[in-house]
Amino acid sequence: MKAILVLEDGKSFNANSDLNSECFGEVILNTAVVGYQEMITDPANAGKILVLTYPLIGNYGTAPKFNESLKVWVSGLVVKETSRIYSNFQAKSGLSDFLKEKNAFAIRGLDTRTLAVHLREKGPLWGIISTKTLDVKKLVEKINQIKKQPEQSLLPEISVPKQKILGKGEKLAVLDIGVTNGLLKQLETLGYSLNIFPYNASARQILSVNPKGIVISSGPENDPGLKQVALNIKPLIGKLPMIGIATGCQVLASALGVGLIRLKLGHRGVNYPLARTGSFKGEITVQNHGCVMDYDALCKVKGLKVTAYNLNDHTPEEIESKSLKLIGVQYNPVSAGFDQVNPILVKFKKLLGDKCAKA
Amino acid sequence: MPRRKDIKKVLIIGSGPIVIGQACEFDYSGSQACKALREEGYRTVLVNSNPATIMTDPGMADVTYIEPLNIEVLTKIIAKEKPDAILPTLGGQTGLNLAFFLMKEGVLKKYGVESIGSSVGAIACAEDRDLFKKAMQEIGIDIPKSGIATTVKEGMKIGLDIGFPLILRPAYCLGGSGGAIAYNKEELEVFLAKGIEASPVHQILVEQSVLGWKEIEFEVMRDCADNVIMVTSMENVDPMGVHTGDSIVVAPAQTLTPEEYANFVNLCRKIIRKIGISGGGANIQFGQNPDNGKIVIIEVNPRLSRSSALASKATGIPIARIATKLAIGLTLPEVMNQVTGKTTSFFEPTVDYCVFKICRFTFEKFPYAERVLNTSMKAVGEAMSIGRNFKEAMQKGIRSIEIKRYGFGADGKDKISDEMLKNADSALIKQIKDRVSVPNDERLFYIRYALKAGLSLDEIYALSHIDRWFLDNMKQLVEQEEEIKHYKNKKIEDEPNIPQELLAQAKADGFSDVQLAFLLNAKEEKVRKLHKKSNSKPVYKLVDTCAGEFNARQPYFYSTQETKDEARPSKNKKVIILGGGPNRIGQGIEFDYCCCHAAYALKEEGVDSIMVNCNPETVSTDYDTSDRLYFEPLTFEDIMNIIETEKPIGVIVQFGGQTPINLAVSLREAGVNILGTSSESIDIAEDRKRFKQMIDKLGLLQPKSGTVFTFEEAQKVANDIGYPVLVRPSYVLGGRAMEIVYDAELLERFIKEASEVSGEHPILIDKFLEDAIEIDVDLIGDGETFVIGGIMEHIEQAGVHSGDAAMSLPTYTLSPDILEKIRKATYSLARELNIIGLMNVQYAVKDAKVYILEVNPRASRTVPLVSKVIGVPLAKLATKVMLGKKLKDLGFTEELIPQHVAVKESVFPFNRFPGVDVMLGPEMKSTGEVMGIDADFSSAYIKSQIAAGQKIPKKGNVFISVHDRDKRDVISIAKKLKDLGFNLFASSGTASVLEKNNIPAKVLPKITEGRPNILDLMKDGKIQMVINTPSGRIPRQDEVKIRSQVILYNIPYTTTIFGAQATVNGIEMFMKKDLSVKSLQEYHKVKGKKIK
Repeated sequence: MKAILVLEDGKSFNANSDLNSECFGEVILNTAVVGYQEMITDPANAGKILVLTYPLIGNYGTAPKFNESLKVWVSGLVVKETSRIYSNFQAKSGLSDFLKEKNAFAIRGLDTRTLAVHLREKGPLWGIISTKTLDVKKLVEKINQIKKQPEQSLLPEISVPKQKILGKGEKLAVLDIGVTNGLLKQLETLGYSLNIFPYNASARQILSVNPKGIVISSGPENDPGLKQVALNIKPLIGKLPMIGIATGCQVLASALGVGLIRLKLGHRGVNYPLARTGSFKGEITVQNHGCVMDYDALCKVKGLKVTAYNLNDHTPEEIESKSLKLIGVQYNPVSAGFDQVNPILVKFKKLLGDKCAKA
Repeated sequence: MPRRKDIKKVLIIGSGPIVIGQACEFDYSGSQACKALREEGYRTVLVNSNPATIMTDPGMADVTYIEPLNIEVLTKIIAKEKPDAILPTLGGQTGLNLAFFLMKEGVLKKYGVESIGSSVGAIACAEDRDLFKKAMQEIGIDIPKSGIATTVKEGMKIGLDIGFPLILRPAYCLGGSGGAIAYNKEELEVFLAKGIEASPVHQILVEQSVLGWKEIEFEVMRDCADNVIMVTSMENVDPMGVHTGDSIVVAPAQTLTPEEYANFVNLCRKIIRKIGISGGGANIQFGQNPDNGKIVIIEVNPRLSRSSALASKATGIPIARIATKLAIGLTLPEVMNQVTGKTTSFFEPTVDYCVFKICRFTFEKFPYAERVLNTSMKAVGEAMSIGRNFKEAMQKGIRSIEIKRYGFGADGKDKISDEMLKNADSALIKQIKDRVSVPNDERLFYIRYALKAGLSLDEIYALSHIDRWFLDNMKQLVEQEEEIKHYKNKKIEDEPNIPQELLAQAKADGFSDVQLAFLLNAKEEKVRKLHKKSNSKPVYKLVDTCAGEFNARQPYFYSTQETKDEARPSKNKKVIILGGGPNRIGQGIEFDYCCCHAAYALKEEGVDSIMVNCNPETVSTDYDTSDRLYFEPLTFEDIMNIIETEKPIGVIVQFGGQTPINLAVSLREAGVNILGTSSESIDIAEDRKRFKQMIDKLGLLQPKSGTVFTFEEAQKVANDIGYPVLVRPSYVLGGRAMEIVYDAELLERFIKEASEVSGEHPILIDKFLEDAIEIDVDLIGDGETFVIGGIMEHIEQAGVHSGDAAMSLPTYTLSPDILEKIRKATYSLARELNIIGLMNVQYAVKDAKVYILEVNPRASRTVPLVSKVIGVPLAKLATKVMLGKKLKDLGFTEELIPQHVAVKESVFPFNRFPGVDVMLGPEMKSTGEVMGIDADFSSAYIKSQIAAGQKIPKKGNVFISVHDRDKRDVISIAKKLKDLGFNLFASSGTASVLEKNNIPAKVLPKITEGRPNILDLMKDGKIQMVINTPSGRIPRQDEVKIRSQVILYNIPYTTTIFGAQATVNGIEMFMKKDLSVKSLQEYHKVKGKKIK
C-alpha cells in the first residue's frame, strides 16, 4: 500500500509498505552496504527511523544467528528496494517475512539518495512514516505534537530484567543498556563468564559479584534514563577496570563530567577512519553515533587521554586512563569475522591483567 | 610519513600494445602515476612501446621513450637515465615481469635502482606458484588443491587424493586446449592419457574443481604504516570457470552476509601483509562454495589491474594515484580524497548504486574459433554502467557494449521469438539449456529465453550456477516485459498507451525507448515524447565515494530514475565530447586518446568539457580529465538526455571513432549542433553514391565500384568491374565482414554475411587492386587552411586492412611525383568536404596512379602516432579549430616531414583463439599497435617487430614457403638470409625456385607426406623464423596448421612478401649494430616553431 515519510521540516517522500501502520522517530542514515538485520535488531537504534543508503536490501535474507537481540528495535526501516528472493546458504527467511514476523514497519521505493543528501544538509531531523494518512501537513503537525511530549526512557524495555550469567571463566560485569549479541560473543571468546546486569544496577550490586572488570554496553544515545546510569557507575570509576562502548563510553564520559556535542550528521556506517595520536597507523571502524564527547572537557579530566580520533572530522573516538583504569570507545568494536576479537577488547583484557593468546 | 627524499628520479614501465588481457586500463593507471609523481616533485622517465597512449604524450613524463619493452632496451634506458627507483606496478603483467627479470639479471643492483610500489620479494611471492602456496598455507588460507603429473599413474594418485570433480590442464597448451573436467575414476584415467599426450612437455596439472563457486574479488591497498583499506568488493555474476576479465561483474558484492564480508576483509588484510605489499594496492580473488561458504584463494595481483581500474571508476577512488603516492612513502591518511576534498584516502568508499561490468567479445572476427568462455580471457573490451538497482545497471550495461542490443532482449533483435519460446519443443529447450550451461558471450540472452520458455530459477541455477539473486532480477525484467506487452498498439502509427506507473517502473528498471517502442509497437520518438511528458525523466546522480555523506566536488554522474537531479549544470560555455565506448577490434585506445585531447584543448580555451563514455578502462573516464563526466551508454536516447540537461554549445563526434559518427545524423536531426565538419559532409563520405559523385566532380580516381542490396545486383556489378572485388558493408568499423572475392560462388556467401552486418545500409563492391601500395593520410583543416599531418606508407600490399598493416611515416618507396598527386588529392577532398577538424584518407597506388579507397571525416587510428612523430598535438588543434580558431593563429600551417622514421606495427590476439589462421586480410583483426622509431627505416622496422613481440633471430633456421606469385621476390630475401648465415628450409615448390638460383635450401615434406615435417621441427625448437605467404584465398589446411603453430611456439613469422623483405633488411641492420634508445623529447628538440 501507499506510504509516506514526512520530515519535521515538511519535506516528504512517497513510498510503499506491506504493513498498515504509523511510526515516529529521529531519522538516521546508515551507509553500510550489508548488515540490515544487525542494524534493525541493535538496541542502539531503538526508536529511530533507519534509512539505508545502499539501495538493494534483503539480498542475503535473514537468519536468527545474525540477530543482535531478540527484537526489531527501529521504529521504521526505509529502503530503496527490497529483494523478493534471498540467496545465501545461511539464510532461514527473507527480510520481508522476518519483518512481518517481528511486526516491524518498513517502507520502500523512495529516493533514499535525495533523503540522505537532505539530512546531510539539514542536520538531525525527526520524521514520521504513515500509511494511515498521506497528508503532509497533518503529519508535520503530529511530529510537532509528539516532540512536545516528554521523552520516555527505553532502557527498561531494552535491558535484561534481572541479572543473567553467561559462559564460564573469570567474572566480568556487563551493564546492559542495550548490549548486542556480537559484543557478548566476543567477550565470551576472550574467555570470561559474563554477569549481565540490568541498566539500573547499583555500584554495590555490581561489586557484590566481585567481577574482574566492568563493561558498559552500547545502547540508545541520549536516552533520558542514561543520566541515572552515569550516577550509578560513578563510584566504580578507578575501583575496577572498566570499558565503555559507544553509548557506554558516553555514559562513562558523563560520569566524569564530560558533556556531549551533537553532530550535524551522525557517524553511521562501517568505513570510518580512526587516527591514533602520534602514530601513522590508524584503523577503519564501525560507528553508529549522533553525538561525540566534548574534546575540551575530556582534556580537563586528570589522567585521561584521547587516544584516537575520527580522521574525517577530528572528533574524539577513544579515551584511555591508566590511573582511572578505564577505556572508552565511541566506535563499535566489532569482530573481524568468525572467532575474531576486536583489538580494543584485547587491550581491555590486558588492562584486566590477563594475558592474551589471541592478540 | 613524509614522502621519500632519497629518491629523485623514477622510471615507469608501461604495458605495451593493447592485447586481450591488457588494455587501456594501464594507460589510465600509468598517466595517473605520472601526474602523481610530478605533483610530488619527482622526475619521471617513462617507457612504453604503445604510441596511442596518453601516458606517452610528451609532457606527461619528463622523459618519454617509445621503445620496445624488453630487458635489453630497458637496461639501456636505465644506464642512460640512471633512475633511483622503478615503479613496475602500473604496466600490467608486462611491467611486473620486466621488473622481475631486471632484478633477476642483476640490472637493478648494478645501477642501484630500487623497485617501489611492490618489492621484488612481493612480486615473487604473488607470481611464483610454489612461494604463493607456501605463504598462503602459513596464514591458514586454502588454495585449490593440485598436483602435476607426467604419467597416468601419478595423475590417478593425485586425483584420488584431491577428490572429484577434478580439472585437468595439460601444460603449455594454448587457451586451455586439451583441458577437461573429470567427475569419476574412469573419466580421470581417459582424460589423463589424452592430456599428457596433448601437452608438448607431457605434463598435466590435476586440480580441485571450484567450477560454479562464487567468484569474489577485493581491491585492497596498504601503506608503509600498515594501514589497510578495502576499496570495494566485487562479485562475478559468471561463477568460477569463466576468466574474471570475461565475466559479468557487479560491485559491490550482492549476496554476501556481513559475517562473510568481514571474513573476506580479514583474509585480505592477512594476505596483503603476508605478500608484503607496503605501499601500493592488490587485487585478491577468491572462490567461495555457495553451499557451505568454504573459501579458497585463487590469485593475488600485486599491482594495478583491470579490476582496479574498474574499482576506481565504480567508486570514484583513483587507486593508481593513491598507490603511487603510497609507493613513495606517504601514508593513506596523508593523501587527500580529491572527490570529497574533505576526507583522506584512509577511508573505505561506500556506494549507493549498483555497478555492472560487461564484456565486449569479437568472435565474429574469428569465425573458426570456438564460441565459449573459459579460464583464458577472450574479451577485447568492456563497458561499465551504473544504476540504482541491478536491473537498471544491467540493461544500461547491455546497451553500452554496442552489440546493437538495447537492453535485456525485448528490443526486436531476439534470435528466438516469444512465439517460438511459448511453444518450445524439446530440441529448442535443449539448445537453450546448452547455451545456458556452457558459458558463452550470449548466455545472458539465453537465460532470458530459458525464463520465457518456462524454466524455473532452480533449473537455470543448476545449469549455470549463476546466483539465484541475479537470476531473479532477470526474471523480474521478463515479467515486466510481459506486462508492458499488454498495452501493445495494433498499428505502429498509434500513440503509445501505457499506464504512467508501469512506464515509470519500466524506466526505473532500465528499459530503453527502443525496447519500449518494440514492446508497445510504437515509434521510438513517440515513446520518448511520452515519458518526457510524464514524470519519468531521468535525473543524474553523483558518484561521490561516500553514499551522500559528504558533499562531493567532482562532478561524475550517472543517470537513473529518481526524484532529484544532482547535475546542477553550470552556466558556462560547454561542449560535449562523445567517447568511443568499449574497446573492440577497430576502435580502441587511439580514439580515447583523441577524446582526452579534446578535453585538454577545451580547458585551454576556457570552455567546460563534458565527457560521455562508458568504458571504465580509459583515461577519458578519469575523474579529472574533463570538467564533467557522464558514465553513460552511447545511444541516441542516453546522449539526448544529457544534451537536454546540459545544453552545450555543441557536440564533438569526430574523436570517438565510428560510434559517435554513426549518431551524427540522428543528433543533427534532433537539432543538436555538431561541431566541426558538418554532418552533411560526414554523410557524403559515408554514403558511397554521394561520395562517388564528389570524386567524379573533383576529377579524382577511385577503384570501379557499385552499391548493391541483393546478390543479383552484386553479381551484375562484379561482372561489370571484373573480379577480384572487395565486398563490404557501409557504416561499419574495422572492415567488419569485408572480403576479397575472386568468383561468383564466394560472392554469394559474402553478400549474405555483409547484409547481416550492414542492416538497412547498402553493401559496397569495389574493384580490388592487387599488389597496389596503400597509403594513409591524416589531415587537419579549419575550413580555410588545410594541413597534412602525415603521409604513411603501408608495408604490406593492398588488401590488408589499414588497422592491421604495418606503416612507415614518412613514406619510404614513393616517388616525389606520386607524393605530389596524393597531396593534391587530399587537399581537394578536404576543401570539398569543408573539413573543420580531422580527416583521414586511404589511397592505393598502382601503376603510378593514385586511387582513393576511403575518406573518413573524423580522427583516425593513426592520429596519436602522427602527433607524436611530428611533435604536433593534432587532436588538440582540431578541437580548437572546431571552436572557431584558425590554424594560422595556432601556428600550424605547413606539413612537417619528420627527419626520423617511425614504423607502426599491429599486434594480434591469435594466441587466444587456438587454431585460427593468422593470415591478414581486409577484415581487421589486431587489438593494438606498437611503434618503432629510429634514424632509418630498417632500424625503426626491426624495433617495431621486437616491440610487437617477435623474437627476431640473429642466427638459426628459417622456413620459407610462398605463393607462386611471390616466388620471384623471395629469391633476394632468401639470398640475403643465406648471406647473413641462416640455414634455409623450404617447401618443395619454393625450394626448387631457390635451387635454380643457387640458393641451397633443405626440402621439407608436406605435413601429410612424411616426417619430420615443419611442424615437428617447430615443436623441437629448430625453426627460428617462418616466411609463409598464403597460397590462395582459401588457404590449404597444412598452411593454416603451420601458421597456427607459430603462434603456439611464439616463432617470428611473416605472411606477406613485403613484410618479409622489411624483416630481413631489419635483421641485417640489427646484426650490424645494437638497438639504440632516444627519447621523444630528444627527437623533438630540434624543432623551432612553437605550436600553440
